[in-house]
Amino acid sequence: MKNPLILLALAGMLSTTAAMAVEVPLYETGPAEDSSFVRFVNGAEKPVEVIAAGSNARISLDAAKPASDFMAIRAGKAIEGVLARDGAKQNVSVTVKPGEFASVIGLDDATGGLRSVTVLESPDDFNALKASVAFYNVDAQCASAALLAAGRSVVLLDGVPEGQAKRRQINPVPLSVQLSCGGQAVGQPLDLGTLEAGQRYTVFLVPAGKSSRIFKATDTVAR
Amino acid sequence: MPVSALAGLTLLVIGESHLTLNNYLREPLQKALLAQGAAHVHTVGACGASPGRFLKPTPVDCGADQVDNKPAVVLGKEARTTPITELIQKDKPDVVIVIMGDTMGSYDKPVFPKTWAWQETTGLTKAIAATNTTCIWVGPAWGTEGGPYSKNNARTVEVSKFLASNVAPCEYIDSLKFSKPGEWQTLDGEHFTQTGYAGWTKGIIAALQASPAISKLKKK
Repeated sequence: MKNPLILLALAGMLSTTAAMAVEVPLYETGPAEDSSFVRFVNGAEKPVEVIAAGSNARISLDAAKPASDFMAIRAGKAIEGVLARDGAKQNVSVTVKPGEFASVIGLDDATGGLRSVTVLESPDDFNALKASVAFYNVDAQCASAALLAAGRSVVLLDGVPEGQAKRRQINPVPLSVQLSCGGQAVGQPLDLGTLEAGQRYTVFLVPAGKSSRIFKATDTVAR
Repeated sequence: MPVSALAGLTLLVIGESHLTLNNYLREPLQKALLAQGAAHVHTVGACGASPGRFLKPTPVDCGADQVDNKPAVVLGKEARTTPITELIQKDKPDVVIVIMGDTMGSYDKPVFPKTWAWQETTGLTKAIAATNTTCIWVGPAWGTEGGPYSKNNARTVEVSKFLASNVAPCEYIDSLKFSKPGEWQTLDGEHFTQTGYAGWTKGIIAALQASPAISKLKKK
């Protein structure tokens, strides 16, 4: 919408009738670069607070709401903040590319403090007719991590290296998932409810002491 | 003579620059919709407006507003969008017809901004769905390669395919089926001469007549 130009120069090429119509200012047909987002996720055992650098803005993440919404950020510009819990602090900084979704995940470290892992996704599967389910793996303890359809032993997502994510489209139906590590079921099935068409979901795999656990979030974009 | 599927319907048509000037798509489409028996047709065009611009009042470089057979109000820089929820509340349309695509093409950029387009598209479709109004989305038509907007066939196909799988619960009308690439002459690669707009109008009307969404609405 910047620097509108009038397209009168084309008038000579046109019929008299058509030439009268050529007065639409030139406009942008889209942004210079794609949108990018960041969200914060609590993969630790206890509630965690996210504090934005340079402000008092805080987000509390607990078992009831372990993930924030995806918030729009500018690509190429570092977003900085702090994850905090009981005096333990972990500085985080994330920089994204255009079209990228970053998830900064807070985890317990071996000494009772906090550490963070950032998982990046550049999704290409937007579809209003299907649901999209992602599997984020930030647990080195779970060998050959896989997400199965609970009760049916059908593999939904597997082969996800630690620190990475994989995503697939699924029909909008009721779905419950089961974590598998080393070919063995771990923990109880996780009920995702009835998936909604067009909605996007993430199942996070995180350490739980010496074992592993999964939890879910809906990938909501803050508007 | 067959009964028109559009007979008696109140239609709200929103879109981009194609729906602004008299010699563009607005006037022939408005006339055709009324000729097909639509009870009321309200068309709102906003130059350069991506779908998200219809979520809150936003200044645009030009616009137009036409109700039934009344003369259109064509505006310049004083034009602003009206939020879709406000338009729907006022008009209480049976069907909202969205004609958008070119304002999301980023034709002059190397990559189609899919994530941005997803936000824009779903923002509008969800707002319409929240009103329980039947919705039909008409995608972009072929232009001619080049021009000041850098319109090109490859990106037009990409935009159309994206919209086809992302406008639900709106029904999608694929305008690329109405002509061959380059068949309709353009003024600037993107905006057609009157012959092209007449062809686009004909295609849209035929698609609306065959629309499952309108057929379902009529059975209610």
